[in-house]
Amino acid sequence: MVTYPRSASIVLAAILWTVICIWPPHFVAADGSTEDFDQRALARVATPPLGLPKVFIPGNNPLTAAKIALGRKLFFDRRLSHNRTMSCGMCHIPEQGFTNNEVATPIGVRGRSLRRNAPTSYNIAYLESMFHDARDTSLETQIFGPLLAREEMANPSIGFVFATIEAAPDYEDLFETAFDEPANAHNLGLALASYERTILSANSPFDQWKYGGDESAVSAQVKLGFSLFTGKAGCAACHLIGDESALFTDHALHNTGIGYNSDTVIRASEEPVQVEIAPGIVIPLARKTVTSVGLPRLRDLGRMEVTHDTSDLFLFKTPILRNVALSAPYMHDGSLRTLEEVVRFYDQGGHPNPGLDPLVQTLKLGDNGITALVAFLESLTGDNVAELEADGRSTEIGN
Amino acid sequence: MKLNYFAFSLATSFALAFAFSVASLNSAQADETCQSPYMSPITGQEEYVYVWTLGMEGVGDASDKLVTIDTRPDSDTYGKVINSLSVGDRHEAHHSGLSEDRRFLWAGGLDDSKIFIFDIASDPSKPTLSKTIDSFVKDTGGAVGPHTFYALPGRMLITALSNDRDHGGKTALVEYTNDGEFISTQWMPDASDMKGALGKENADGYNYDVRVLPRKNVMLTSAFTGWSNYMMDFGKMLADGEAMKRFGQTVTLWDLHARTPKKVFKVPGAPLEIRWARQDNHNWAFTTTALTSKIWLIYEDDSGEWQAKEVADIGVPADIPLPVDISISADDTKLWVNSFLDGTTRLFDISDPHNPKMVFEKKIGTQVNMVSQSWDGKRLYYSSSLLANWDKKGEDNQQYVKLYTWDGTALNQEFEVDFVKEGLGRAHQMRFGAASLYTSG
Ligand code: HEC
Ligand code: HEC
Repeated sequence: MVTYPRSASIVLAAILWTVICIWPPHFVAADGSTEDFDQRALARVATPPLGLPKVFIPGNNPLTAAKIALGRKLFFDRRLSHNRTMSCGMCHIPEQGFTNNEVATPIGVRGRSLRRNAPTSYNIAYLESMFHDARDTSLETQIFGPLLAREEMANPSIGFVFATIEAAPDYEDLFETAFDEPANAHNLGLALASYERTILSANSPFDQWKYGGDESAVSAQVKLGFSLFTGKAGCAACHLIGDESALFTDHALHNTGIGYNSDTVIRASEEPVQVEIAPGIVIPLARKTVTSVGLPRLRDLGRMEVTHDTSDLFLFKTPILRNVALSAPYMHDGSLRTLEEVVRFYDQGGHPNPGLDPLVQTLKLGDNGITALVAFLESLTGDNVAELEADGRSTEIGN
Repeated sequence: MKLNYFAFSLATSFALAFAFSVASLNSAQADETCQSPYMSPITGQEEYVYVWTLGMEGVGDASDKLVTIDTRPDSDTYGKVINSLSVGDRHEAHHSGLSEDRRFLWAGGLDDSKIFIFDIASDPSKPTLSKTIDSFVKDTGGAVGPHTFYALPGRMLITALSNDRDHGGKTALVEYTNDGEFISTQWMPDASDMKGALGKENADGYNYDVRVLPRKNVMLTSAFTGWSNYMMDFGKMLADGEAMKRFGQTVTLWDLHARTPKKVFKVPGAPLEIRWARQDNHNWAFTTTALTSKIWLIYEDDSGEWQAKEVADIGVPADIPLPVDISISADDTKLWVNSFLDGTTRLFDISDPHNPKMVFEKKIGTQVNMVSQSWDGKRLYYSSSLLANWDKKGEDNQQYVKLYTWDGTALNQEFEVDFVKEGLGRAHQMRFGAASLYTSG
């Protein structure tokens, strides 16, 4: 039996924290102020946790406490959707790895289906492109996607969003304080991006070992997993690890076969659907019963939808793997439910298809290797998860 | 808030005690469709059926509405829609419940948590909107999806289905005054806070229906699923292994008066509607599980302990018929059980509640959800819609209210209203009204 002293204490702290501040009361300071959190967030960005590089702050959006507080408030405001049910934080849920662990792909306003899994918001300050197909370029501009998408927040126009904000008494002066001007299409993005940039998490057991030199921070199994990740398994060719810091991404797009499998094999399947009707009781349900109550599975061609270049078919962005143990289910379609499923997927060489990236190959890692890789991925959970959850909940949910 | 609540319960405990005695004087313990024992039942002919109807895109004004059907047999407009009151927009209209004086019908929206209070007394043939509560989530401190509206003396007990933090299944039991003022939120017991109840290993914090048995000072709640699932495309959800893990597996027994949970029973597969028996010596209730297709009995055993046990299958559980609404007859001998996916209604003989026996079955439509029966058990109204994104697609999406008469051996169709042809939408819950209720006599 291998023990993980540090991750165990992180887990313990997380559980304790959950017990203290989950189901009611909501964790909101008595006077509604988030100042302590704002100050700690500023400090976190100025000196990122061990294992993270310096944060790039765009020249037009210097980070301030007022912007962080405003961005956080906007992020958790359900009023910012057409019928006041969805906030950013309803799909990027703090206690669920800033994604939604309870669905493969989330649903938006009126229950409309999304075809892609919600990526985590941890460490998105470092993204060079936004979305699984890299179609946007910055956190500041990304916001219009969800705000206006019919299946996400479904606002009928961007002006509608400002009318909502103007009508909400609790926003009085907040934009003026942060920007010296009322809410507009420019500063809305500046505010949201400012909060999002502060969701930094690292100083994981892996970081304490690799960048902190603490040999006891991780188990021998994790070290084996690391050597496979950077060696035989070839993971680090795409999930890069630097000498002083690691983001576990090459910021590029690849065909691992997940997109091909999702769009062709799964979508066309006539097989019965395995339905878990109660814990442990799985029943094969005829496909025609399922389709009688469901709309057809949505197509997804990946990067090609953006570039119209056929060589971009089924290309998806390499995600950052930090805190990945918290953000199940995995891949752009949420089709893999556990880290073990992910590693077994790579072990069998991805899903063969004409455009499969040559870096994805059959690995034959064996059960020990697979377990070690999973242990390694689990060692990437930062030590400030409870702090970031509490930070998110320090603002009152806008209803 | 806590203080207020206790002050209020103290003040109302007298009212409650009074109501208990009234209820036991009046041997009828519930109304025609298994409603609160604090309401007087319509024991004769219902004159109107109010149908809380979901707006459907492309049909009429695409908005939720309260539809009034004339059910007076001698009326020129018998079996016809005589009024339709649109509330604008779609809110995921679902359940509705009458206030204890039967003057107001509370109707909820599971999506945006709006509550519409209709005045059905001033002109029972033509309801009007008397009040809209759009602060439910804020009032309750984060409960989402007001579901069952259950009349208690002077107040409305409301189950929620979800919450504003993650749209999952953890949720609460809420109370409002009859005037629509918020009173209290009681979060459901879960492993992190059992609130003194037994059954920690079972507790999931989920909720669905609520029903009380004042004679025994007990209350039962059941458990469905959160917003993310009940709003999701049904086919997408069935294929999503994570989503399918998020269904309630519990029935909770409460001390009615104190509103404290006492025991959480494990009832796997999403137990939905709860129906108490009515007779004074019948200390039991039924519920059915949507996913596992079982009838469960919740009963007081010989030693005075409350128990839950599975007592019958509904159809072939392996086909997932998806039992939905149930209705118990006034004499506690029969239980109607609808199942959505096979569009079938089944009648169980429950003379021995520990051994229900199916005695009749009939397909009502491509899909069926709610059933409301008259006090004498001779008339059964069926409606079609389950949830906007769970209803069948294409041709199979029949939307209707149908009246059948039951002669003891067969169901004979009396009339049908086609809710698509009439430009109304998806027919959901049906409640009975009668002008005679409001005339002194
Ligand atoms: C209905 C669920 C939903 C809501 C609401 C939502 N998101 Fe997302 N978010 C997603 C999904 C799904 C994606 C991936 C979409 C894609 O790749 O096409 C995503 C992607 C992102 C990304 C890109 C991350 C990456 O790794 O590329 C950011 C940043 C983001 N969302 C922030 C926000 C913000 C800010 C809001 C509120 C203004 C918001 N989201 C609202 C589901 C949601
Ligand atoms: C060819 C580049 C490449 C290689 C090699 C590679 N990955 Fe990936 N990885 C990706 C891409 C691209 C995705 C996203 C795929 C998608 O969304 O469909 C991904 C996704 C993942 C995810 C899911 C993250 C999430 O949040 O959904 C995990 C975990 C992961 N990889 C681990 C590994 C491991 C372990 C290895 C080695 C066995 C590995 N990867 C090898 C490119 C690569």
